[in-house]
Amino acid sequence: MNTSPSPYLATDPMGAPALPDRHLLGIEGLNRPTITSLLERANQFADLPAREQLSHLKGITVFTIFFENSTRTRVSFDLAARKMGASVVNVPVATSSIKKGESLIDTAVTLNAMHPDILVMRHQNSGASLLLSKYVNAAVINAGDGRHEHPTQALLDALTIQRRVGYIEGLNIAICGDIANSRVARSNIHLLSILGANIRVISPTTLVPKHITEMGVALYHDMEEGLQGTDIVMLLRLQQERMQGAETPSQREYFHRYGLTREKLSLAKPKALIMHPGPMNRGVEISSELADDLERSLITTQVEMGVAIRMACLEALAFGLTKSDQRNMK
Amino acid sequence: MTATLFQHVQIIDPASNTNMVGECLVEQGRISQLSDQLGSIKAPKDATIINGNGKALIPGLVDMRVQSCHPGAIHKETPLTLARAAARGGITSIVCLPNTNPVLDDPEMLKSQCQMLSGLSEPLKALKVYAYGAATSGLDGESMAELGLLTDAGAVGFTNATHAISNSLTMRRVLSYAAMLGQPVIQHAEDPILAANGEMHEGEHSMRLGLRGIPDAAEEIIIARDLSLLQMTGGHYHVAHISTAKGIALIRGAKAEGLKVTCDTAPPYALLNDIAVRDYDSRYRLSPPLRHEDDRLAVLDGLADGTIDAVASDHSPQDRDAKSLPFGLAEVGYSGLETLLALMLSLYHGGTLSLMQVVALISYHPAQILGLNVGQIRLDAPADLTLLDLNKSWQIRGENFASLSGTTPFEGTPVQGTVLGTWVDGIQIYEAG
Repeated sequence: MNTSPSPYLATDPMGAPALPDRHLLGIEGLNRPTITSLLERANQFADLPAREQLSHLKGITVFTIFFENSTRTRVSFDLAARKMGASVVNVPVATSSIKKGESLIDTAVTLNAMHPDILVMRHQNSGASLLLSKYVNAAVINAGDGRHEHPTQALLDALTIQRRVGYIEGLNIAICGDIANSRVARSNIHLLSILGANIRVISPTTLVPKHITEMGVALYHDMEEGLQGTDIVMLLRLQQERMQGAETPSQREYFHRYGLTREKLSLAKPKALIMHPGPMNRGVEISSELADDLERSLITTQVEMGVAIRMACLEALAFGLTKSDQRNMK
Repeated sequence: MTATLFQHVQIIDPASNTNMVGECLVEQGRISQLSDQLGSIKAPKDATIINGNGKALIPGLVDMRVQSCHPGAIHKETPLTLARAAARGGITSIVCLPNTNPVLDDPEMLKSQCQMLSGLSEPLKALKVYAYGAATSGLDGESMAELGLLTDAGAVGFTNATHAISNSLTMRRVLSYAAMLGQPVIQHAEDPILAANGEMHEGEHSMRLGLRGIPDAAEEIIIARDLSLLQMTGGHYHVAHISTAKGIALIRGAKAEGLKVTCDTAPPYALLNDIAVRDYDSRYRLSPPLRHEDDRLAVLDGLADGTIDAVASDHSPQDRDAKSLPFGLAEVGYSGLETLLALMLSLYHGGTLSLMQVVALISYHPAQILGLNVGQIRLDAPADLTLLDLNKSWQIRGENFASLSGTTPFEGTPVQGTVLGTWVDGIQIYEAG
């Protein structure tokens, strides 16, 4: 086991990038230098040996509050916080007073009285994390708010691309599927645009607002046309309830028109890569065989990078808290 | 009852297109003398003399869309706070929606709504309270309520309150039956299925914010359908709080065709647009939603050319808990009684409307639409009057409202136009402190 401390991390606990805000609520509003420094920092964390235990966030308390079910994001934040040496409390929402009608603000005020340093929240309503941030002293990380943003997902996607391809600037990236209901799509469009990628979205008319082009993306309804010349194909999860005649006619029709198969992928660049934020619907968004193709699929790398990104984000917010503490003392 | 003489006031009466500096004498609750000669009216003995110093005297405001919250939601507004808020706002007549709990689908309920203020002390109880009857039983949108009995009980029109009558057959029957009774049908024009789960106006901002959209077509569809039905049934159709360019265009066309169609809007739709929602601030969660800037401009055009007949406060108070929620979970509505006049005057000060137009939109026109004998300054008319300083400025602060609800999308907005006093049937119900 590696017992020598990592030269960079151990000697420079204040090497964390600074965020423009006390919270991380979305990608919109972040600038390129901030994003780049978060990615660089996360890249260092990603290179750490698997068992490396850091103590940068010793004494910091992180609460995770997930109003929507999640396994991978919650576990990822939990693990990231522990690896950084923070204490983690996973607030159980399903069994708590929150389900008994306590309002989000009452919950926030109650939790705030326990003096957490960082609150990681996922909520089914857009804007919920912004609302929470107004009522707490802690720094808030938005782990997904309704259909609005999911900033750490976009950051981990960028880190995944960065590490595999080496750069993001100028890449042709197609985001495919349920854009209308996707916070991952919105965060990724913001982030990858800032980093200089050319973004196109591919979606049936019923799953994409026509105003999406105002965000500077090209819109395709024909997947085969949209995939031409792409370097990265980013698939989005289609919720079960949207497939049966509501927003799309049927699962098989969706797969026929928008499911990624080896045949459709052949229209993209020869070495085009596949990404998916998970959990995947095999046979809906992607053929099972393609999902398991390690040459093309980055899906497990995305999960891995998730931990590194969240370590960097937690550190950056904790660093911001320390700075403000110092200011307050003066 | 003592007499009141208003000396040196600028009398503005849209019904007679009067704008004159003069005097007004009120006796026995009615206007007994008007003169454009200062010092010409001799005050009777014991008369209260009000020297207006040239301030404006307008017909008391007639607010044709108010949610009283009584009975059923007095944690949002009580009859007392409602009356105080209206009086401060220069309002002398309010027309209540039937969406109380229980609903105003029963003649006795409707009568008791109109008597809502009878338990208050003088002089506030003088405020005039009218009510719409529920168009459908329990506001279920399906079966016609007892429109005839409700008319006899004093209903001034029929509506399904905050929801559209979306069933076409029901709407046809309601329009037809109300036409027979000589009553208007007031529609909240929003297709409930197309607008289902909608959180804000559908457009670029809803897309960016990830909020579910309510397209402008939801308003257009209901109005277009209702106009088709109206051609079959005849009668008087009124669209409440119209908010879209498409809807206004339909009304303009229907008026040109000679159909008996009227509509109103509310200050938010003339003064704000959907960009206001950018921070998910639930104060901007309204129904209908704040629309695109093009729609707002169409509202201004509609007000200026008379397509939009009236402006109501759309007073829909909410308590703090109902608004302290993520945007999509927060209740729709805002406290509007105390800001209606000043906000509308901003359109006069800004040059969009004439003073006469503004006054007509909030007093004479709504009274005419509903057939109420108020909203005029003429001899023998009820002395429902509002004295105001057109220029005195103030800042809208919800915490200073008399209403129990301080939630307003105009928080912090500076306005010009301050109510100095409000009289109903010659009884002063408000005096600026």
